[in-house]
Amino acid sequence: MITCDAVSKVYPSRSGEVRSLDQFDLKIAKGEFLVVRGGSGSGKTTLLLALGGMLRPSSGSIQLMEKDLYGISNQERAQLRSSSIGFVFQMFHLIPYLNVLDNILLAHPGKAEESVRERGKTLMKDLGIEHRLYHRPAELSAGERQRAAIGRALLNQPELILADEPTGNLDPKNTDEVFKHLSQFHQAGGTVVVVTHGEAANQFADRVIQLDTGRLVETPSNGHSEPK
Amino acid sequence: MILKELWHRKANTVLSLLGLAGIVAFIVGFLTTAEAAKRETKRITRDLGFNLRIIPEATDMDRYWFDGYSSETMGQDTVNRLAAQEGIFMSYNHLMASLKMPFQLHGREVILLGVAPTITSADKKKRPMGYSIKEGTLQLGFQVAQRLGLKPGDQLSLGDHSFSIAKCLVESGTEQDIYIFGSLVDVQKILDREGQINEIKAIDCLCLTADEEPVKILRQELAKVLPEARVIQDRVQADARAKQRQMVENKFGFLTPFLLVVSALWVGVMAALNVRERRGEIGVLRALGYGSGKIASLFLVKAILLGLIGATMGFALGNALALSVGVEIFKVTAKAIQTDWSLLGYALLAAPLFAAMASFIPAMQAVAQDPATTLRED
Repeated sequence: MITCDAVSKVYPSRSGEVRSLDQFDLKIAKGEFLVVRGGSGSGKTTLLLALGGMLRPSSGSIQLMEKDLYGISNQERAQLRSSSIGFVFQMFHLIPYLNVLDNILLAHPGKAEESVRERGKTLMKDLGIEHRLYHRPAELSAGERQRAAIGRALLNQPELILADEPTGNLDPKNTDEVFKHLSQFHQAGGTVVVVTHGEAANQFADRVIQLDTGRLVETPSNGHSEPK
Repeated sequence: MILKELWHRKANTVLSLLGLAGIVAFIVGFLTTAEAAKRETKRITRDLGFNLRIIPEATDMDRYWFDGYSSETMGQDTVNRLAAQEGIFMSYNHLMASLKMPFQLHGREVILLGVAPTITSADKKKRPMGYSIKEGTLQLGFQVAQRLGLKPGDQLSLGDHSFSIAKCLVESGTEQDIYIFGSLVDVQKILDREGQINEIKAIDCLCLTADEEPVKILRQELAKVLPEARVIQDRVQADARAKQRQMVENKFGFLTPFLLVVSALWVGVMAALNVRERRGEIGVLRALGYGSGKIASLFLVKAILLGLIGATMGFALGNALALSVGVEIFKVTAKAIQTDWSLLGYALLAAPLFAAMASFIPAMQAVAQDPATTLRED
């Protein structure tokens, strides 16, 4: 599904270069649930954005679904994101002036046909927020907002979900709820990559890897080093 | 989505609309009152009177300034030759041939002034300046009428000719109080100078101030057409006329570009603030696979929408101001102030284009924005 080959990402800074990813190699199998752990500045988010075609590495290559992710055009990459990748962010990034349904439908380019709208509503029902259909994000709890964001990520039936600290702003109950939904997607054959500094995701993971200053440092004792 | 965003960020929307509606209102208001202003200016400059005198070249200028008239004469056809010259009305207009000479009347000297109908450009359809006096009638200066005890309707004999008094003029406080005005033909007969004139009064159309040397241009042009004549310009009057004409144009000419720049900056800053505020939104749209075209269109279509709304609001405001305040300012020519619906059409075309241009750089900033930077800031 994904192959990272010697991927490095270097940011210039006043005090010299910062290597966010350093000669990073990784293989993620189709249908795998991977948890990437690490502290602040370990390069987790950089890795996730690079995997999602949002951040060009300074060197190395990333193969996604047998395509050289940064060898294809911007337009092709945008198309690939739209059709095959769902993003979930810690801050939800819902559009404040759209209601929940419209936020979910935002993932569908152009005017959403009735079938897409129905799919959006079904997703909301599955996520337990069907009563929030026409509410604005500001009227939702944090857990509901994240479930709406998951709905948006799932609308186009992607093959891959990339989640950046999806439970960073949630309480334990909502954290479980979010991972339960991501797990359902995984069990239906989807690939999930979650970056987090917590341990709540581990129980759902096929594999857990640990990052530190852009390098794979160890495999946590309660995780798995290789894909199942 | 754009409409919802406009409604959601009301402050930005209202401030952007203010910038757009303001400039549209200014231009619409100005253009709506422009015709009245133009007429008012014409009226004022017309009242300033003639500022050019074309007299025979052979005139003794010392005597001329002392007497107030030229003792030399030139053929009456001179004025027709001048008027027939192609393009002459670009520089000289309202040509009025006259004959002005002293005349003994009841033991006192008066000035007889005969004037011909004013000749104006046939193309411009300008209302002739000056005055026309019917043949067989006279108008008396205040002092003359007082001394002779004459009133309108009375008869006055000058030489072998008898005339009806058409008007006794009010006291002017100038030498014109000892003038007797008649038609050119009558005065020529009285003075036995048939077919002769000694002055053509005119107005210069250059509207240049003294420092731009209009008289040099006028003399060069006249020398080509009427070598037997010379032109004198009343500089004080010509300057006043030029300044009056230029005043309105200068004010509009200065204010319009200034306000356009201010308005463009205003709209541009509002768009830039909007882009800044929506960085997260742009980032997530990128993550959802939205391309540069769609991102740019979010801002440019919004600018066009704002332009359309701003144009409508600005037209309504500018028109209302012109119809209320304009009428107060241009009281004499107020009738010329009317709603010009074509300005709405122009505003609806120009304001969206203007708004889109002002928002172009912020829209490009949105396109160029690295979504990863925003999304990594979580």
